[in-house]
Amino acid sequence: MIRKESFLLQTVGGEHLLVPLGSQVMDTNGIITLNETAAFIWDLLEEERTIEELTTAVAGRFEVSRGQAESDITLFAEKLDQNGLLQ
Amino acid sequence: MSRLTDDYGALLNKLQKSAAEHRQPLNVTFELTARCNQACRMCYISRPVTDSIARNRELTAAEWVDIAGQAKKEGMLFLLLTGGEIFVRPDFFEIYRPLTGMGLLISLYTSATLVTDSVADQLAEMPPHRVEVSLYGANADTYETVTGTPGSFARCLKGIEALVKRNINVVLKATITRQNAGELYDMQKIAKRWDLQFSASWLLTGRTDGMPSGIDACRLSPSQALAIEEADPDLVEEWRNSEMSSGKENFYCQAGKTSCLIDPAGAMNVCSDLPAPGIMVPDVGFREAWKELQRFVEAAPGLSAECLDCDAIQYCAICPAWSYLENGRMAGSVEYLCKIAHERKKRYESEQ
Repeated sequence: MIRKESFLLQTVGGEHLLVPLGSQVMDTNGIITLNETAAFIWDLLEEERTIEELTTAVAGRFEVSRGQAESDITLFAEKLDQNGLLQ
Repeated sequence: MSRLTDDYGALLNKLQKSAAEHRQPLNVTFELTARCNQACRMCYISRPVTDSIARNRELTAAEWVDIAGQAKKEGMLFLLLTGGEIFVRPDFFEIYRPLTGMGLLISLYTSATLVTDSVADQLAEMPPHRVEVSLYGANADTYETVTGTPGSFARCLKGIEALVKRNINVVLKATITRQNAGELYDMQKIAKRWDLQFSASWLLTGRTDGMPSGIDACRLSPSQALAIEEADPDLVEEWRNSEMSSGKENFYCQAGKTSCLIDPAGAMNVCSDLPAPGIMVPDVGFREAWKELQRFVEAAPGLSAECLDCDAIQYCAICPAWSYLENGRMAGSVEYLCKIAHERKKRYESEQ
């Protein structure tokens, strides 16, 4: 999976915000907030990534088991897809 | 891990609070021009479109885009483009287009009277977060009495229609004056016609450039104003719960602390009502100007002893900007606000 280019991740006062760009404003009703892990994954999704690659990266960066990381990432990927954030 | 924010208010409060702690310029206003195609008597800024002195003072499109880039680095997230009338600038889209790729939440203030199909098409390609359209009456007679511009009511409605047709997020804002106060309900009906958000404001300030203002002929009397305010129970409750009386903080609205305004010539000011300190951003850069603004705000006086002693202070909108505009210095009471505050106290305390 790879992220859409029509969002920009902004960090304001510790809050990670995905702000829609250009015509994406019309399809996105507001700002999307991400937690620390989600923002980390969003950065990685600048390039095509598999769930396995993301799991390795997240488990290496945060104190979380591979199993838990994989399950969280799968859920997050579904959300990204549902909200039209993936290409 | 993520959520699409539906409680926008809560998120904004959180961002605002964090920005206040860090003195971050979260909200920036670019006053692209003081010129306007209308001639509202109560306007605090408007100059004629043909005013060459006003035009020659304006920053170029490239300068605005450069300042936006600098401001973003310092933490700007919300950017308001206002005037005068933003669409009198033929190069408006040379400013706007690059800004839409910066990851900002952009709002536009306009009368919509210059929003043609072509303008609306260009906006729809890169829509702003919202367009706030000022409304000055519910029919041509009243609207044009306020704006002093024949044909402006029809152009305004046509402009709104063009934006709405393209699904651009439009909010209607009625500016209430003595001339149109009787049409508030009918103006609300105009908003309902397109199912648009609607708000109304009647607290009018004088001109910020020292030129003669027609404000006295336009401002509502305190009783007229509060008759309108009382129709909004949320607002009444907000005043009842206001903590102004306990605060000696000078810019309690956080103007100058989380926000600033850059005027058409590039001078950074606290807000649209306070044309000071006027630090030239093109000369010193946004970062340095913001730092200097912080020093200005820190040094600004809090409420005067007279205001702090007033038993209606909780109900008062007094701030350094109002004092400056009406008294020429950043402290001291303002007669119009005093009358409103005492009227509020009388009405809202007796109703409890």
